[in-house]
Amino acid sequence: MIKLRAPLFITRHVLFALVAGGLGGVVFMFFLLEFDHFTSSNEFCLSCHSMTYADDFYQRSPHYNSPSGVRASCGDCHVSEGIIMATYDHAVGTKDLIKQLFGPDYDDPVVNTLHLPEAAFAARDWFRKRDSATCKRCHAQEAIMGTRANTAAIHTEDAQGKTCVDCHINLVHRQVPERQTFKRDAWNAMVEEEFGLEPGAAAAIMAGE
Amino acid sequence: MKHPMLFLVLLAAATLAQAAKVTLDPSEWGHPEGENCVSCHAKASPGLTEQWRHSAHQQAGVNCMDCHQADPADVDAITHEGQVIATIVSPKDCGRCHQTELEEQTGSVHAEAHLIISERVPALAHNLTGPAMQAAGCDQCHGSRVEVRGDGSLDPATWPNSGIGRINPDGSKGSCSSCHGRHAFSKAQAREPDACVRCHSGPDSPDKEVFEASKHGMIYKAQREAMNLGADTWIAGQHYTAAPTCVTCHMGAAGKIPSTHDVGMRNAWSLNTPVSVQQYLVVFEDGDKLELPADQDPPKRGSELTKADGSIGIVKVVAGPDRRRQIMSMVCLECHAKNFTTSFMDQFDAVVELYNGKFGEPASAIMQVLYQNGLLTPLPFDEPLEFTYWELWHDEGARARHGAAMASPNHAWWEGMYLVGRNFYSRFLPRARAVAGDAASELIDPVLAQTNQHEWLASPDAANPILGWSPPVESDGASDAGSGANEAAAGAEEAETSNADAADAADSAQEESKADAANSDGGADD
Repeated sequence: MIKLRAPLFITRHVLFALVAGGLGGVVFMFFLLEFDHFTSSNEFCLSCHSMTYADDFYQRSPHYNSPSGVRASCGDCHVSEGIIMATYDHAVGTKDLIKQLFGPDYDDPVVNTLHLPEAAFAARDWFRKRDSATCKRCHAQEAIMGTRANTAAIHTEDAQGKTCVDCHINLVHRQVPERQTFKRDAWNAMVEEEFGLEPGAAAAIMAGE
Repeated sequence: MKHPMLFLVLLAAATLAQAAKVTLDPSEWGHPEGENCVSCHAKASPGLTEQWRHSAHQQAGVNCMDCHQADPADVDAITHEGQVIATIVSPKDCGRCHQTELEEQTGSVHAEAHLIISERVPALAHNLTGPAMQAAGCDQCHGSRVEVRGDGSLDPATWPNSGIGRINPDGSKGSCSSCHGRHAFSKAQAREPDACVRCHSGPDSPDKEVFEASKHGMIYKAQREAMNLGADTWIAGQHYTAAPTCVTCHMGAAGKIPSTHDVGMRNAWSLNTPVSVQQYLVVFEDGDKLELPADQDPPKRGSELTKADGSIGIVKVVAGPDRRRQIMSMVCLECHAKNFTTSFMDQFDAVVELYNGKFGEPASAIMQVLYQNGLLTPLPFDEPLEFTYWELWHDEGARARHGAAMASPNHAWWEGMYLVGRNFYSRFLPRARAVAGDAASELIDPVLAQTNQHEWLASPDAANPILGWSPPVESDGASDAGSGANEAAAGAEEAETSNADAADAADSAQEESKADAANSDGGADD
């Protein structure tokens, strides 16, 4: 009869550490899940004042008010699925927090709007790099029927090899041109007109920070 | 004058003879991305795709990207499904292939249609109504100044727009699709009189209606199938003879006269002005054009002149009104005899001169004198008389002149000069007198006295049964009695009678006008 025997190095202490570590790991996983969940919520994102400008447009978009009652939160679109990638996104996202604390005064609506294009470009890059994975959490390309006659055909025939954000941009937040055709001078002029600033003021604000 | 213009005609003819239909080499069109556009747009916007599918562009292999491609640096460039494009295809874009047409169109009254009225627009569209009317009204014919916003979108106050003098983001002026409906760009469609109706209709320039009410329009309608509208080249007298359309006379090829996309080139007169003037057509070195009144000395070739947009240009060629008329007449000669043509033009000129001398010039002079004496405020359209004057020349007067120019008797008379006369005598003069008040005899009567055409007013006893009243014929006995005394008195007062009558007429008109003005004021206050 073979008697099961723990190897000699499994001492009582080691055993205790393993159990404690295992339990700790599980607790940590639950913590991350809760952490990701919390940090993906609109409440958390909007706790920074600078995010309320993004919220203005979001609240007027169909992603906030969809006829079906489905509402996409900040994290649904901007945080990857899965505990590892979600945690990674949040870790990388801390750079936004650092910029919020030590960078330009994004709480100022003028500064915020002036910097919006770069944020939009970065967000689009993020979506493209992930093949619009967060869009696909809800939207299945093969299931898109649309209300117009040929919407389904376009999404099966013409959208091949494309990712959602190749065509669908400016859906939720304020309209920003694509990087390729973006013109900083025109954007600055628009902001100056919108906020009643002197011509050239926008460039000065951008340079001063 | 003669030689420069001859040069212009020869130059135009030579250009036409040499120019291929399009200037861009076919290897340059047929953009590889075009098929992808069509595949998606056939589903997303099947109407426009289908129009293109049946177009000459499609048959030549010209696709969406050939016209819509843009440089990322272009003001209105957008990224669309990975391609850099512009929504607006400007004359400059069309001119990549259709270079001759672009050059002709540049500087024409069509291309300048926005600038021509840009100073007038605030009075009507902004004060009288509201800015919304500029986008939906004025600019839809005259063209908008398209604004590209910082976020890349086209300002909805300025777009959509296919007005013919549209100022495009690339700086070019005009809109080819104003006449050449997109996306079929059919030759036949642009040759139809209906191609002009969107703008050349209504009270001020009812050219569609004028044409339809003319013999030309009647015959066109009856023999439309003989018009050969879809012909590749379309020369009057050669490819069709049934009737002319707007295009035929104003820009079409006829006999030896080449076609032109400068639609105003053959117009000797300005007809949409308070007083018509004959005009020089000045062509600048850079292709821009300018019209100048022919009562001044013509600018010299090579001299510098301020263009419509305020910049300085160097004069290349000047065409006088006679030469412009001559070219127009040569179109007529394809179907009409020379005397017939000349006499028709004489009839037309006589109407314009009648309008000018009897109504346009006096009305304009009276308005000037009222403004100069502070009896009218400089602000337009805050006084009833200003509407009266505006409608006199801008609507009724223009209709009369257009009617005569295009041989619609109804528009020349009932829709035109009859209304000018009615307005002038029954509204304009009484109102002007009311505005002038006690100064009327000093400010207004001398203006009227400058022409003898208003002298008929001084004979109020001249009877005519048109309104159902002629004084009863007096019996012989009655007229004999006391005739000696009457004759003596008549002889003595003969010279004064007409003056007294004129004064009476003026007084009664003034009283009437005061009542009229009082009513109007009351109405305005309401």
